[in-house]
Amino acid sequence: MKAIQYMLVAALALMLFGGTAPSSAFAAGDPDEDAPLAALGKVPDPPDNVMTKEKIELGKLLFFDPRIGGDASISCADCHDPKNGWADPGEVSRGYPGTIHWRNSQSIINSAYLSKLFWAGSSKSLEAQAKSAASGGVAGNGEFDVMEARLALIPEYRKRFRKVFGDEWPLLFNVWRAIAAFERTLVDTNTPYDQFMRGNKNALNAQQKAGFEIFKGKGNCVECHNGPMLTDEKYYNLGVPRHEAWADDGLKQITFRFEIYAKGANEEMYRTVKDDPGMYFRTKEEKDKGKFRTAPLRYTKYTAPYMHNGAFFTLEEVVDFYNAGGGKNEFDKNKTDIIKPLNLSDKEKADLTAFLEALSGKEISMKPPELPKYATLK
Amino acid sequence: MKTKFGVMLAMAAWLGIGILSAADIGPLPKVEFDAKKAAIGKRLFFDKRLSGDVALSCSSCHDPTKGFADGKPLSDAYPGTEGFRNTPSVINTTFKDAWFHDGRIGTDLNDVTREMITETIWMNMDMRIMQERIKQDPVYIKMFADAGWGEPSNGKVRNAIPEYLKSLTSRNAPFDSGKMSAAAKAGQSIFTGKGGCVKCHNGPLFSDQKLHKLGVPENKEIFQKPLRHVAFIAFTKSMGIDNYMNLRQDPGGAIRNNYKENLGTFMTPSLRELKYTAPYMHNGMLKTLKDVVDFYNKGAGKGSGLKALKLSSKEQSDLVAFLEALSGDPLNGPDHVWSEKIDVNYKPIPDWWKARN
Repeated sequence: MKAIQYMLVAALALMLFGGTAPSSAFAAGDPDEDAPLAALGKVPDPPDNVMTKEKIELGKLLFFDPRIGGDASISCADCHDPKNGWADPGEVSRGYPGTIHWRNSQSIINSAYLSKLFWAGSSKSLEAQAKSAASGGVAGNGEFDVMEARLALIPEYRKRFRKVFGDEWPLLFNVWRAIAAFERTLVDTNTPYDQFMRGNKNALNAQQKAGFEIFKGKGNCVECHNGPMLTDEKYYNLGVPRHEAWADDGLKQITFRFEIYAKGANEEMYRTVKDDPGMYFRTKEEKDKGKFRTAPLRYTKYTAPYMHNGAFFTLEEVVDFYNAGGGKNEFDKNKTDIIKPLNLSDKEKADLTAFLEALSGKEISMKPPELPKYATLK
Repeated sequence: MKTKFGVMLAMAAWLGIGILSAADIGPLPKVEFDAKKAAIGKRLFFDKRLSGDVALSCSSCHDPTKGFADGKPLSDAYPGTEGFRNTPSVINTTFKDAWFHDGRIGTDLNDVTREMITETIWMNMDMRIMQERIKQDPVYIKMFADAGWGEPSNGKVRNAIPEYLKSLTSRNAPFDSGKMSAAAKAGQSIFTGKGGCVKCHNGPLFSDQKLHKLGVPENKEIFQKPLRHVAFIAFTKSMGIDNYMNLRQDPGGAIRNNYKENLGTFMTPSLRELKYTAPYMHNGMLKTLKDVVDFYNKGAGKGSGLKALKLSSKEQSDLVAFLEALSGDPLNGPDHVWSEKIDVNYKPIPDWWKARN
């Protein structure tokens, strides 16, 4: 359903704005036809959770409310902080108090357009992502009965959930729906790139235009970074190096072993693995070790560091990584054939970086709302 | 040991055949335990890393300076919630057959330990994370190995804490040592006679370990303080209590079975170590032992079926003296308390890339 919807949006965008077709629709290692590059269209508004003004307002409150979580100390906005590109500035996310996460926190901006959430695509909707993030042991660590009970003791939420969803008592199921509706308003659709793709040929400067040509041509970035979101939402191992900080941080080592143990590995794997197996945990297939979903490139000006483990702090480093033909990691026997050394000159690299920067518009800031208070239930 | 104690109780019941007397109360059996495993349990009991956000250890609520209870009418709980019942002492808990004020766990302390560590309103700990935390601490690694347990694990934590709890038993209570005052001796006669206390408070624990309804007034604070009410709702909902949003009464033993019959019933508590564990009753509504005796003297609360005892004030104070004689030495020395500082930070494992996880 989601995939069809996504394709429809992509097709529509193509019809409306005219797309630039990728240079090679069937490159090695990726037999599927790629979605054309295009400006970002209208945000998807799923028929089973339509956006309304009241629902969005409610979702905003909940997004910033730490009572949706284990010890009521951190909200969605702590790891998806508006001041840090609606993400977390650490290489790996700060995680639940007393823990640390093991992957980089991803931006909320434009996440509404994705059909696979999390680095290994384990959630298929914003609604499902919110639920998983609020309850994961190194994320929100919230328990459903407690979170739901907290809402029942907050009169303002009772009033709003009744109005928006008709709930007698606020239902957690609708918390995820309201948060998702709010997130669908957090979009960046008027970047220089979008303006350019809609026909304003002056929206990109000469350097950015040159970078765009490399993106589509010599760099072959477009092979995976295509469609309006500049991601094919497929899974690849790029040889992103392991997170070196695992070696000298006890807290990170705890999380690493927990993730391997909790996500399911045989004993030999649990004892010996030192790198993030990524998509393997979803398929349990050897060939998927070290694969992650192609990251969208939008809003990246504000979301350093990059990659699933924050391996690179600047877009220049990312470009250098690809220019060298990717890197090495524990599972690089699964490394994709698509990336090869690019032999870009310093100027070409600078042009490409300039183009990447054109994929971000103005920074989207937001003041946290004042949260409603608990009151005795009569 | 546990089985032996059960057998003893059964024998006492068979021999007594309902005729309850002073013979039904007596000293606690001796408990054997593995000192090395108990030492692991002791350290774990005082280690905040056993809670999700490292805010609480078992000893936060089961405080050795307060008889391994907390001295509050209603307990604390995991941050973001507050408790809705009185913290019971864990001294002598190893002798129980069923745990919690509602007796909802009737298997063993391994299961009780699991409940306390993982349930959201208590320590909200994913035990898989806990296991990896413990494996990051060289002190635990050595202690587990020395105890013959090999590598630290989730399951062994749930064995170690009950092993430690075996060490928390009453010491030198005047009742056990035979050094009771005259008042306490007089109180014992009332306890077993006119007061009828022994009908429920019998056996070495002074508890029949059954559910009874006493009609202790509800502690209204549970429903007035939102964070307590949150914990109450989450608990009753997860326990399958009907109409939990409108309930303004602690259902007690109703969560086990026979909802109507058991509504508002609570487990007979042990009377040992009461000197240190005020306030009393499942919801801390009675502040002193004098208040407790006064409560029973008036025939307890609504629906209890108990009659007024008509004890004189001397009889009442004698009874209090007897109750106090059931408390021994405080267990707040190094034998029972982990006194070394526990570093809650984690050192990296040397040579991480080559080390086996």
